[in-house]
Amino acid sequence: MPIINFGGLLNFAEAMEKQDMEFYLSAASNPEISDLSDLFQGFAKDGKKNITNIQRTRRENVTEMILEGIKDFFRKPFVLDTGDDKNMDRAQILAYAGKMETRALAYYTEGAVKIKALPEVAMALKQTGKKRTAHIKKLSSL
Amino acid sequence: MSLPLVKNYINGEWVESNGTEIGDIRNPATGEKIAQVVYSTQEDVDKAVQAGQEAFVQWRKTPPLTRARYLFRIKESFEENFEEIARALTLEQGKIIDEARAEVRRMIENVEHATGATTLMCGYTLEDIATGIDCAGHRQPMGVFAGIAPYNFPAMVPWWFLPYAIVSGNTYVLKPSEQVPMTQTKIFECLDEVGLPDGVVNMVHGSKDVVNAILDHKDIQGVSFVGSTPTAKYIYKRCGDTGKRVQALGGAKNIVGIMPDAKLDSGIPSLVTSFFGCSGQRCLAGSILAPVGDVADGLLEKFIAEASKIAVGDGMIEFSGMGPMASSAHRDRVLGYIEKGIEEGATLVLDGRDCKVEGYPEGYFVGPTIFDNVTPDMVIAREEIFGPVVCVVRCKDLDEVIELVNTRDFANAACLYTDSGEAARKFKYEALPSMVGINIGIAAPMSFFPFGGSGNSMFGDVKGHGQEIFQFFTDTKVVIERWF
Repeated sequence: MPIINFGGLLNFAEAMEKQDMEFYLSAASNPEISDLSDLFQGFAKDGKKNITNIQRTRRENVTEMILEGIKDFFRKPFVLDTGDDKNMDRAQILAYAGKMETRALAYYTEGAVKIKALPEVAMALKQTGKKRTAHIKKLSSL
Repeated sequence: MSLPLVKNYINGEWVESNGTEIGDIRNPATGEKIAQVVYSTQEDVDKAVQAGQEAFVQWRKTPPLTRARYLFRIKESFEENFEEIARALTLEQGKIIDEARAEVRRMIENVEHATGATTLMCGYTLEDIATGIDCAGHRQPMGVFAGIAPYNFPAMVPWWFLPYAIVSGNTYVLKPSEQVPMTQTKIFECLDEVGLPDGVVNMVHGSKDVVNAILDHKDIQGVSFVGSTPTAKYIYKRCGDTGKRVQALGGAKNIVGIMPDAKLDSGIPSLVTSFFGCSGQRCLAGSILAPVGDVADGLLEKFIAEASKIAVGDGMIEFSGMGPMASSAHRDRVLGYIEKGIEEGATLVLDGRDCKVEGYPEGYFVGPTIFDNVTPDMVIAREEIFGPVVCVVRCKDLDEVIELVNTRDFANAACLYTDSGEAARKFKYEALPSMVGINIGIAAPMSFFPFGGSGNSMFGDVKGHGQEIFQFFTDTKVVIERWF
């Protein structure tokens, strides 16, 4: 499915953040990986903030004068099956977290380019992407 | 199953009208009935005006800063309910959800602008107009004002006026379009939560009887209207008969000129939005595309290609690029204009008549439609179609574009795409419409600038929002003082 407009781009970002946040919240309470609980709780907290920011961006930066369509941007490369930490071991959980972060970063990076007609939206996406870069660094340091 | 009934809001309460005539509200994407509205009566209007008059006594004494604080609360409530309002709008009006969001944003921007009342409604003074004599002009609120709103922007348009009226110390009676009353109902639910004193804002639903009751009411000080030109004229005259202030914004026939030096690749997306955004149902929509010289063929090829790609569909669905007409009657009217264009001999190069949307057999859809070789005298080049129908009038030079602009009956907006500062300046200087876009397809003034056309596009002196709106909602009382 293509992403063809401003709302579509931000709606997908919101859905992605929700999906990731739910996984991290569940993983944070998984006794098998209790040493990662604080990390994942932090990631979930970031997710909640990201959702708030995405919703605010959607509310505040939609402008009648520049409601131009988005071209050649598709959901498929960014769709990830929902992960169930209860059926994963530690290595699989970390690998899945890495996948979520990488796809989110890729989405925000590409999305920022696609929505460059609205610079404030592009900036919001890049900033959210930065947070995901920080997550990737934390995960790789484990 | 019984349908929800839209109620009036009078003196801080949701009340049913005593009227007997009931109208249906339909989802334009599906044709389904989604609610009903009772058409109110003179008695309902009287009650609303009386509530406004009673509330005015204290409200006008409330300091402007305190009144502005209510607007801050209103803004906050609108932000919290943003998606719900946008969805209510799309459901009953049909525009795509991003357009609905943009409209809600525009509504909120007016609330934000109106919060500046403590500076924007200041009067002025001059000492020593004669020796020892000082003069002051105080802006005073006047009483009850009323707004009559159209169906194409059910959220935003009433808020071009209402926040400025109440922050200035007046009270208000709003009549939304009977076709789309649910959006303002949602909005008034927000108002109901913020604790405005009872009677400061009131809403009465209905049709022509309510309009006439407002226009003739002796205790209404002024009326703001947005809609078609014939109705705007009617309102202007009738308000004149009863001595009211009036700002009546009417129809449009907006021309978008394209100079040979225009940067077409970067301009095409905004052109498409200009002509097909909100399915062409807006007074700032492009209606006539006027390419100059040999730019026409290349432009049309690109423009038709882009227009053909627009996915017409249910505005609630994220993948839709253009929604339906707001009503079946309006769809039929637009289709009638397409038939008229064919009859007049224009060349139909993109035909949106047989627009089928899978799963929505009863929706009021019209696809993007483009006529080439339209001449300035054709009906489709003179009358407001208010749909996704583009009339291409080829022009030989900029003078011909300006001539085309200045010989329409309307003078709302006009745009020019060019890379030449000289051409842009000439266009800005000579075009009669009051809203001009340069390399912008929708010359929509934001809340801090005035909105409104001239000629048959506007009747009255003070436009919507901007700084001047405070003049409409206040009387400047001049006090000349000498002390012995």
